[in-house]
Amino acid sequence: MTLTNEKAFHINQLNLYYGNKLALDNIDIDIYQKQVTALIGPSGCGKSTFLRTLNRMNDLISNCHVNGKILYNENDIYSSDSDVIDLRRRIGMVFQKPNPFPMSIYDNVAYGLRCQGVKDKAVLQKAVKKALVDAALYEEVKDRLKESALSLSGGQQQRLCIARAIAMSPDVILMDEPTSALDPIATAKIEDLINDLKKDYTIIIVTHNMQQALRVSDYTAFFLLGEIVEYGLTSELFSHPKNPKTEDYITGRFG
Amino acid sequence: MTYRTQFEKELEELKIDLIKMGDEVIANINDGLKSFLSMDGDLAQITIKKDKIVNEYEKIIEKKCLQIILKEQPVAKDLRLITSVLKMITDIERIGDHAADISKMTIFMQENTKPYHISEMEFMTEASKKMIKKALDSFVTKDLDLAYEVINDDDVVDAYFEQVKKTVASAIRNNEIDADYALYLMMVAKYLERIGDHAVNIGEWVIFSILGEHKEKITP
Repeated sequence: MTLTNEKAFHINQLNLYYGNKLALDNIDIDIYQKQVTALIGPSGCGKSTFLRTLNRMNDLISNCHVNGKILYNENDIYSSDSDVIDLRRRIGMVFQKPNPFPMSIYDNVAYGLRCQGVKDKAVLQKAVKKALVDAALYEEVKDRLKESALSLSGGQQQRLCIARAIAMSPDVILMDEPTSALDPIATAKIEDLINDLKKDYTIIIVTHNMQQALRVSDYTAFFLLGEIVEYGLTSELFSHPKNPKTEDYITGRFG
Repeated sequence: MTYRTQFEKELEELKIDLIKMGDEVIANINDGLKSFLSMDGDLAQITIKKDKIVNEYEKIIEKKCLQIILKEQPVAKDLRLITSVLKMITDIERIGDHAADISKMTIFMQENTKPYHISEMEFMTEASKKMIKKALDSFVTKDLDLAYEVINDDDVVDAYFEQVKKTVASAIRNNEIDADYALYLMMVAKYLERIGDHAVNIGEWVIFSILGEHKEKITP
């Protein structure tokens, strides 16, 4: 594990409200480049909400508002001149349930590039192949690229979604419980993939699976009731957590 | 509300097994030394046989630890507790071996050997037994101070060992004991000294299970 101190995100006094309800309370955290950061915590603790603030997916929720700062590569992503489309191109996302578009495998991966106006077939083909190779899916689908993405297994669909995200050459990939709907083999493939991808991407993953956080992440943040209780190196946090609440949660005695 | 009640129960059982294993070795040290001091070959044989019970405890506890790791995937303090138990039983088992070794010395001795009384050997036995007991108590009660005490108590055992050495040397010089007997005396003293070292190891594992880091002797 090579740890860098270069920050992808610097988050300062971030508060997020759903209407009057405070969902994220004074979050201060730095997320490092080309590292895997896991967000853990009980349901409703704010970890997915936090993940979605990083590419402003929460903008889509009408009564949601944010204050504080999220600096991404030193630019405030919530400033009025921030380009949200470009932000989401650079910060891709993979969800809990695989959500391929109802179109061919090839078209799924090419979708983002086409939206950007790329029409050159050779460029598209090259980009689709690279994304599928990087997502460790190419060998399994190379002879059926024109088939519907919905014909793939759950694990393959999820890797397709990762391929679709990385086809856009993002810097960051956000993953919201990407393996919770998958069997152990498909989960292992995604975890291996995360390990491979972190050479090139900053990855932030929400997971309910402690062992998964331990296996894939370099840093872990423990969320509780909208606050970050503890944040640090995964190996440290899971071997001797500093906060008793963290210890109670990770050892299953929370409640 | 506490979750994982089954897990908690398993951890408690593990502690009880460890205490029982500890009680067995303490009894064996007692009997081993008693057999040696009183030249009681029968007691020595019984003590050697009883070491099998200690070995059996080691296997049972090890199996339970592996089952817990498999089923519960412990992390943090739970993982440290299980790994510490796995390491501690190795030390307790070795202590058991030394109790059996002491009994073997009894069997090796000639029947006509005249016992030579060295009080420090008995003091050593008492001190090392106390160390084992303290170490296991400190584990069950998570008493860090007591665990540190065990580590420091080793100096007492070592000092007795030095005294035994001097006493034996002087007894040889004064022709009070023969060479074979002197060797047996020194072997027994060395086993007792090693028992103290293993008790220190147990104390160190207790500290690791509580603090998550290895700490050695504190010098005031």
